[in-house]
Amino acid sequence: MTRKLLTGNSAAAWGARLAQVDYIPAFPITPQTEIIENLAAWIDRGEMPARLVTLESEHSMITAAGSAASSGVRAFTATSSQGLLYGMEMIYTVAGWRTPFVMVNVSRGLASPITLESDHNDIMAARDSGFLQIHCATCQEIADSILIAYRLAEHTQVRMPAIVNLDGFYLSFTREPVDLADASKARAFVGEYDPENLQFRGNSPLSQAMAVLGGGPYSYFRYEMHLALQHALSVYDEVVDEFAEIFGRRYDMIDCYQMEDAEYVFVMVGSFSTKARDAIDSLRAAGRKIGLLRPRLFRPFPQAQVRQLLQGRRAVAVVDQNISMGMGGVLHSEFATALYGASDAPLLASYIGGLGGRNISQQEFFAIADELQQASEREVAPPPRLLYTEEELTEMRKLQAIAQAEHAEIHQH
Amino acid sequence: MFRIRFHGRGGQGMKTASRILGSAFFMAGYEVQDAPRYGAERRGAPIFAYVRAARSTINERGIINHPDLVVVADDTLVGMPAAGVTQGMDENTLLLINSHESAQTWGQRLNTRARILILAAQEEVEDRAELPYIGSRCAAAAAALTRVISREFLIAALNEELAHLNDEVIKGNRDIALVVFDEMATQADLVNEGVQASASDYVRPKWIDLPFERAEISNIAIHAAATSVKVRTGLWRTMRPVINYDKCSGCSWICSTYCPDGAINVRDDGYPEIDYEHCKGCLICVAQCPPHAIESIAEQVARGQENGATP
Amino acid sequence: MSKQSTVHFHRMKDMPSTHLLGTGTPMCAGCGGLETLHTLYDILGDKTVFVNAAGCMTLLSVYPFTPFRGGWLYTAMASAPAGAQGVRDAVDILLQKKKLSADENVEVVVITGDGAAYGMGMSATSGAMDRNLDFIYLCYDNEGYGNTGQQYSAATPHAAITSTSKGSHGYPGYKKDLFSIWAAHSPAYVATVIAAEPLDLAKKVEKLQSMTGPRMLISLAPCPPGWDYDAQLSVEIGRLAVQTGVWPLKEFIDGEVRHTKVPKQRKPVEDYLQLQGRFRHLFAPRRDATGIAEIQARVDDYWALAATK
Repeated sequence: MTRKLLTGNSAAAWGARLAQVDYIPAFPITPQTEIIENLAAWIDRGEMPARLVTLESEHSMITAAGSAASSGVRAFTATSSQGLLYGMEMIYTVAGWRTPFVMVNVSRGLASPITLESDHNDIMAARDSGFLQIHCATCQEIADSILIAYRLAEHTQVRMPAIVNLDGFYLSFTREPVDLADASKARAFVGEYDPENLQFRGNSPLSQAMAVLGGGPYSYFRYEMHLALQHALSVYDEVVDEFAEIFGRRYDMIDCYQMEDAEYVFVMVGSFSTKARDAIDSLRAAGRKIGLLRPRLFRPFPQAQVRQLLQGRRAVAVVDQNISMGMGGVLHSEFATALYGASDAPLLASYIGGLGGRNISQQEFFAIADELQQASEREVAPPPRLLYTEEELTEMRKLQAIAQAEHAEIHQH
Repeated sequence: MFRIRFHGRGGQGMKTASRILGSAFFMAGYEVQDAPRYGAERRGAPIFAYVRAARSTINERGIINHPDLVVVADDTLVGMPAAGVTQGMDENTLLLINSHESAQTWGQRLNTRARILILAAQEEVEDRAELPYIGSRCAAAAAALTRVISREFLIAALNEELAHLNDEVIKGNRDIALVVFDEMATQADLVNEGVQASASDYVRPKWIDLPFERAEISNIAIHAAATSVKVRTGLWRTMRPVINYDKCSGCSWICSTYCPDGAINVRDDGYPEIDYEHCKGCLICVAQCPPHAIESIAEQVARGQENGATP
Repeated sequence: MSKQSTVHFHRMKDMPSTHLLGTGTPMCAGCGGLETLHTLYDILGDKTVFVNAAGCMTLLSVYPFTPFRGGWLYTAMASAPAGAQGVRDAVDILLQKKKLSADENVEVVVITGDGAAYGMGMSATSGAMDRNLDFIYLCYDNEGYGNTGQQYSAATPHAAITSTSKGSHGYPGYKKDLFSIWAAHSPAYVATVIAAEPLDLAKKVEKLQSMTGPRMLISLAPCPPGWDYDAQLSVEIGRLAVQTGVWPLKEFIDGEVRHTKVPKQRKPVEDYLQLQGRFRHLFAPRRDATGIAEIQARVDDYWALAATK
């Protein structure tokens, strides 16, 4: 095992390389491009026996990844943001092909307005597609999650495509120390891809992905995909146990930090959750019993585990780096669903933060912790809040003044 | 509520029939739903459309499972399971068939508790896909059998729904529709409005927990070759091509090559043979055969001959 | 894949007399597109994977029925060529790794309608040609979005009535020259075909089998409901499209365009137009001499230009 400094994108490329992928349909988009550049360079230098083809769009790229996996090879691809949305028709479509491949999504906020920086609305848009979703918080986790994702996706009891998600800039372009798995151990862990009876070849008839007539057959095929994802919960546990045994790193479906005696909990996914860890250390030093709950596995959603881990706590702050327009934070809704009806469910508070890569400061975490405590004392959850300061609005007003936005007033302080 | 289904073939105007009846009900002060069954509508293929009408808001939606009236434009569909004409019929259902045959004959032929009425078929038309005015006739018959739609509303509905046609065609439809309306207005057997499902006395659905099945089984995939041959598209046919082997030169490739469906194969003796299970009756072979050795005859005539009786 | 260049199709008598594509598909009676597909399939055989885009032929296979004896994969309207890319690349990788035997190799064939080929799928098609993908592409061109009820597409000819051009003059635009657009990519092969000329079609399919790279076919597909004529006229109308010069049969190889069937004495275009309801307004209630002459002039101009090359 070698430990070296890698960006999140390099770690993703290494994950694909260590997973022995055969085929990489690609399309550039910031902040993902470095992944395919790395892979292309290795292939060109003869260091990686795979084929990379740049398609003319993400829509085509995802089609090619799906059709290649349906033809019996291990495929890998990567995208981000607008690219994921451009390919969204095929995200839903190839999931229905039961075609196991792994795609990395480098999260970036969606237009409009255009931004290059990170939030999770892109990946949340793929939430209901049938893709498995693993969310990473560190560069180490990226490389490892890709290996785990192949095992999970290709498992005969699952056979669904998977997305490994990482945050743009905060991970994609940030170097951190990463322990790279030994190539032979990685090969042994991931194993050979067995396409079973779902593979095109001369001399055997196979028609795939056709229309159905009527809601009965449609319901069957769709619900079987749901059952396969639910089944992936137990398969996931087996796979990460084996991973831990071989590589010494544990990746439970829910990452818990300081949760044993925590009365208050932050819930987050992705790299900003490490900021919450820091805040928890400071809060603990100040005598506050607070912890972090971070789902790594977001689809299938570990509902029962969430419920079990949060029952009996006083209050929970779900910090969503996304927003469902007209509803609020997506994670908040999912957690509310998981906790509904639990006899000793905690108060659940919703915070939207980190949109378009906006920082979430330590002080904001501290303030959230205070609000949780007050809520607990009053026995009522605070209203949903966008993490946004007066200073930010003042800066916004300056921009609006230049843009001559009508009625914009500059507040001087 | 009235629940009425129209059965015909693609091209016979069943959607129009449902709209004429729907509009007539609406003019008569009813709340209405009318819709064609949406799917792969192909000319000659069995299709249906339906109408609901009630004095109060209609909450029921989708296909009518228990019809009060079933109107069949083309009697060759009645015995065809794929057409679903008899689906959901019970003793409350009135079945109106456009046919040359009598209600008694149909009663003997069908194992049904439904009451049968005949809409006397018009002058002989060879190609059933071209039955004239059949949509308007079916709508008019249905309107009369409800006894709640006046002649005036029927006329207004016909004018409205056929407005895209020229005046002469509209008049032709109107005239023939009114003949049917007047004829049916003297019928004693009427459509009964069906009742709502009872919540106190019902058969519980046999729900199951869908078993989880591996992708090898539950993928949307077909692991066999050419299973489409199990679909009998020959049922779409209203005209049948028949090879006169006395005239056939056995060239073997013209009819077989031009048949879009590949429904003409060449026998060991070098002569072509038509696969009537799948021939859709496009008649390209009739048009293209160099020695004019293929004739077209009406499908119901051909079936009658096959059954050794005239229909 | 071993490419053979034997010529079997000299005369009409050489056409296959048993058919590989299963009967019982939901295509309309008299479908000109299906007519092309079944001939293509007879020649290519079942060691094929057809990658299908959204269009009329979406319904070729409705679970659990398929007319195919080899492979078939339904993708989406825009990306069938990308689906073909994935299958081709995967099969090549598996052949290279000896996980598939040479006997298990397949020819990959895209089938799309004109809606996909001339419009939504054009960038994916262009991309596949850019990448010199080894595949066959069949566009069945019925000159409109047929499966949704014949709305006009970029393949619709001037003056045709469609369900979105019902005005007294029909579709105001002109049919896009997809053949030239494709040929501009310099793929291995581009040809126009029509089922009504089966020998020309068979010869072209046979020829492209001996080639590698993108091999592109556009088949004019007479469409009884979309063009509004009696189904039995499908072949007659197709033949007239060729005889009037409306649908030139040609091929592009090595930078050269060659006409494979030049009508000696071109028939007037109205022979073709008047059989179709979509052009009825050119003839009734009164004859639109100007409109017909304009269509004739465009065809004449095409052939005058062709004669100079």
